Amino acid sequence: MIRFENVSVTYDGAAEPTVQGVDFEVPEGELVLLVGPSGVGKSTVLGAVSGLVPHFTGGTLRGRVTVAGRDTRTHKPRELADVVGTVGQDPLSHFVTDTVEDELAYGMESLGLAPDVMRRRVEETLDLLGLADLRDRSIATLSGGQQQRVAIGSVLTPHPRALVLDEPTSALDPAAAEEVLAVLQRLVHDLGTTVLLAEHRLERVVQYADQVVLLPSPGAAPVLGTPADVMAVSPVYPPVVDLGRLAGWSPLPLTVRDARRRAADLREQLGQRDCIALQGRGAVVDVRLPPRGRDQPRRTRSRQQTTPPELLGENPTPRRWFKRRRTPTQPTSPYAAEVKALAVTRGRVQALRHVDLAIPLGETVAVMGRNGAGKSTLLNTLVGLVKPSAGSVTLGGAVGLVPQEPRDLLYTDTVADECTAADTDASAAPGTCRALVSELLPDIPDDTHPRDLSEGQRLTLALAVVLTARPTLLLLDEPTRGLDYAAKARLLTLLRGLAAEGHSIVLATHDVELVAELAHRVVLLADGEVIADGPAADVVVASPSFAPQVAKILAPQKWLTVAEVREALA
Amino acid sequence: MTGNATRQARAVRLGPRSIAALVLVSAVGGAALGWPFLAPPTSQVSAHAQDAPWLFTGLLLLLVAVVAATISESGLGPKAVAMLGVLAATGAALRPLGAGTAGIEPMFFLMVLSGRVLGPGFGFALGAVTMFASALLTGGVGPWMPFQMLSMGWFTMGAGLLPGPDRLRGRGELVLLAGYGFLAAFAYGTVMNMQGWPYLDPDGSPIAPDPQAGPLANLARFVAYCLATSLGWDLGRAVVTVVLTVTLGPAILKALRRATRRAAFESPVTFDAPTE
Amino acid sequence: MAGAQLHPGAWWLWSLALGTAATRTTNPLLLTLLIATSAYVVATCRPDSPWARSYTAFVKLALAVLLIRLVFAVVLGSPIPGTHVIVALPELPLPHWAQGIRLGGKVTVETLLFALYDGLRLATLLICVGAANSLANPARLLKSLPGALYEMGVAVVVALTYAPHLIADVQRLRAARRLRGRPDTGIRGLLHIGLPVLEGALERSVALAAAMDARGYGRSADVPARVRRTTTALTLGGLLGVCAGTYGLLTAEGGTYGLPVLLAGLAAALAGLRLGGRRSLRTRYRPDRWDARAWLVAGSGAAVAALLALAATRDPAALHPGVVPLVAPTLPLWPAAAVLLGLLPAFISPAPQNPVPRHPALKEPS
Repeated sequence: MIRFENVSVTYDGAAEPTVQGVDFEVPEGELVLLVGPSGVGKSTVLGAVSGLVPHFTGGTLRGRVTVAGRDTRTHKPRELADVVGTVGQDPLSHFVTDTVEDELAYGMESLGLAPDVMRRRVEETLDLLGLADLRDRSIATLSGGQQQRVAIGSVLTPHPRALVLDEPTSALDPAAAEEVLAVLQRLVHDLGTTVLLAEHRLERVVQYADQVVLLPSPGAAPVLGTPADVMAVSPVYPPVVDLGRLAGWSPLPLTVRDARRRAADLREQLGQRDCIALQGRGAVVDVRLPPRGRDQPRRTRSRQQTTPPELLGENPTPRRWFKRRRTPTQPTSPYAAEVKALAVTRGRVQALRHVDLAIPLGETVAVMGRNGAGKSTLLNTLVGLVKPSAGSVTLGGAVGLVPQEPRDLLYTDTVADECTAADTDASAAPGTCRALVSELLPDIPDDTHPRDLSEGQRLTLALAVVLTARPTLLLLDEPTRGLDYAAKARLLTLLRGLAAEGHSIVLATHDVELVAELAHRVVLLADGEVIADGPAADVVVASPSFAPQVAKILAPQKWLTVAEVREALA
Repeated sequence: MTGNATRQARAVRLGPRSIAALVLVSAVGGAALGWPFLAPPTSQVSAHAQDAPWLFTGLLLLLVAVVAATISESGLGPKAVAMLGVLAATGAALRPLGAGTAGIEPMFFLMVLSGRVLGPGFGFALGAVTMFASALLTGGVGPWMPFQMLSMGWFTMGAGLLPGPDRLRGRGELVLLAGYGFLAAFAYGTVMNMQGWPYLDPDGSPIAPDPQAGPLANLARFVAYCLATSLGWDLGRAVVTVVLTVTLGPAILKALRRATRRAAFESPVTFDAPTE
Repeated sequence: MAGAQLHPGAWWLWSLALGTAATRTTNPLLLTLLIATSAYVVATCRPDSPWARSYTAFVKLALAVLLIRLVFAVVLGSPIPGTHVIVALPELPLPHWAQGIRLGGKVTVETLLFALYDGLRLATLLICVGAANSLANPARLLKSLPGALYEMGVAVVVALTYAPHLIADVQRLRAARRLRGRPDTGIRGLLHIGLPVLEGALERSVALAAAMDARGYGRSADVPARVRRTTTALTLGGLLGVCAGTYGLLTAEGGTYGLPVLLAGLAAALAGLRLGGRRSLRTRYRPDRWDARAWLVAGSGAAVAALLALAATRDPAALHPGVVPLVAPTLPLWPAAAVLLGLLPAFISPAPQNPVPRHPALKEPS
């Protein structure tokens, strides 16, 4: 269906080809997964299928790509639109119109299909993707998963024979990702659609793949094989594979189910050891910090600059709060933040109701829950962007929030300017922010444009900007959205270091693996209320939707991460 | 690469046909605006001075559509259309922001800078599309809309035609753009006054266009009309455009040029035979 | 449901016809009746959507126009020979080149009344246009654009889709700016919020262009060279004709040929526009049908316009009450009955649809 014949792509102005020696075939009706670390040219390979590379991007394509027999040299993307459907990572920049039904019809309108055919296919697609109830809705009001399904639907209506998806679930929460993957499964199994998919959240997709194409490093030729074979050599892998490699299972299990069947011995072996996961998880100081976290250079900073508690509710203009809270007085509270009977109403929606929460100094708390459960509202209230309608928020020091879209925080056009601005904003000594950036991102030149940074680098820069103000309490909203494994690992190290230095951290996240690695305590929110609050291991293992893969495999024992298991076995 | 990077982009190329259509429609537009000065008392329009503005509004609406169609035909690729739509939306989205800060209208200066970076053809299309989209978004479709589309098109196209599009950079460029922005923003206001002026009944007001009076007398009446209605407003807008161009111009120009480079409007596409 | 909606063109024709009717009279009672008619129809038929609120905006605009007219009449006086002086303002002497314009002077009832009648006529027209703005869905109106305008139409659709997203971006960035403890207004605020919004928008536009390209945007039919040449000839010839016709209208000698040449040129240019649509392959998904109701709505408006035009020629005195000498305007029976025909849409058009939040960002800040 899709054939790459010894393809290499060189972009205009680049000295080296971005990808080379790409030579594989995706047979009809298969789901093929394209994996590899960031920056190895996955998007280029995908773009070459739809003809966007090089027709749209410019550059030189050597070799040949054919889709359903059509050569991309002679067919422009628009002439391939009826055989390949392409969906990118951000569905919002995919949509041309503003309602679901119009969007599904748009592609067919461009191709000039007859009105009765369009009508029939829109109805079929609405049913196939479970969008019938949303047909009249404005796309902007849909959730991320619904938007991604509409994006897939919008390229399905012309009945393409192949679908190409570039990280369709990276930016989604687990439930939304499930929705999207269920749809893909259905397309492959029921309709025989050929799917080529790049994704770095491998724990979500690897079990669905018929074959995996691995791009190991930039410019290296791809490795093709069955998922289990490729995972054995891949530099990127999900936790289940990590555990499988650790335990030496062969063939490697790819699903929790397979792994559980093999894990009886491992559970027994671990059961005999002192199960440290049972103890101390909720303690303020995590005794089991992996060595990496401990080795972080400790920055000597006076972090005990606490000030008298201040009621944000009495303070209608929460601007410039960094400065106001700078006057040092004697410490009054052992908590970085204390929330009492907090309620927030936005419009007619009660976003938070009667929330009580205390965050001790130095503790890392994960706030989890469905979309719309009030996680972001809680963070925004802690930082003072949202005014509580009842109750109180008492802070033990400065607060800094890294928003969901870290680039929102950055507004100058070089890293150096950003640092200068951050120093001024926080009235910190000149060079404070730049020193932090150099520590966190060692090889970023001063004149880099923040928009040219990768997702992970941008997050780190935003974090440095926030840290310049020396917050006692650091808030992060969905920090791992769109990050690959390597970037996530760096973030983990970083946050562990900060926690070890005494920062209190609150994460609002869907990422169960991150919580497993990092959080001392988990707070579950539903409908604006706290429904569970306790040590991470207890809360997470008990919940089917928030348990990490390792916990599911080794349940009822409370192991959360491969690192813990590795340490226990050592 | 760097040599190409700073050149003015030609996101929309105007062919000879589009240019001819544009010139002809601009001529009719000029007449539709300037008829109170041009027409002698014995002419048809003067005889029907009450209905003439409506006739010209309808005519211009159709003619703007004809010009838009010729520009469409000579090639609006996906990149140009997407950028056109998104920039027009930005113009509309920045309006509420401006409203919060003492009547600053950031749209004008964005139009000047976009025209400069993206070339005259794109500029005309952008001006017209922005006014149309903004009228639809705010529910402000009225007899002024065809005139707004045409004059905003001229305004933005003019910015694309300024000298030294590929060479003049830095302070010189800013001064040029600020100067143009001042004149053009003021001219835009005047043009919109010319559009609204004929609705005044000469029997009832001494500052209405009078078909019986000569061009000079009408000019005086028009100046009085401008002074009475919108001078302060237009002057304010022109000054704001200058201030914004001088202060924010460098950053915005840089962003626009960066994006244009990213969009790779004219980057070469080549295919090589597989190396065996 | 899209299918049950009235064709937006019908609303525009109805409103413009009412507006045309307004230009035929200066009788304040008839004009008020026209405003009431449009207001009643808008109140019954307008959907619960952001653009529906534009009627109020147009009413305010119309009031402003009326007010400005009255202020002009007071400050600048008027050529109307009035005898009933209300107040005599001090007159400012102006230089000779002011060509007879004066400032201040006597203000008479006649002057004010004339300005009121004339201003009310324009105000009525604006209010009728406002009715169209609030009744017709702009997105559906775009679907009725001719094929030759396809590309431009897509640009407008994209603008309408993205503007609410960008407004949401502005709100998000304002919040982020407050996070860094900086004011979010003023000229620096504009830069620091406007620039990221612009950069984000431009980045998105490239991604959107790629998506559009991959979804078949810009596929065009093969148009024979003969048709292309005819299109060009019709368009350019037509525009030349329009130019010549306009010239004719503007000169004393061109009185006879002006309008016919202009109309012929316009017809040719529009034929060129239509022929140019041949290159577009695009088909339309669920277009609004021009059904019987659309005919009735448009027809009711046209009837009002035609009957008032007829009445204006038959009985000009009733439709243009004099101000010199002062007389109280009376409501002429038959023209008033004709205006009431314009209420027809209120009884035949479908009930307002369920509220569908189309532009959430415009409504509530998140």
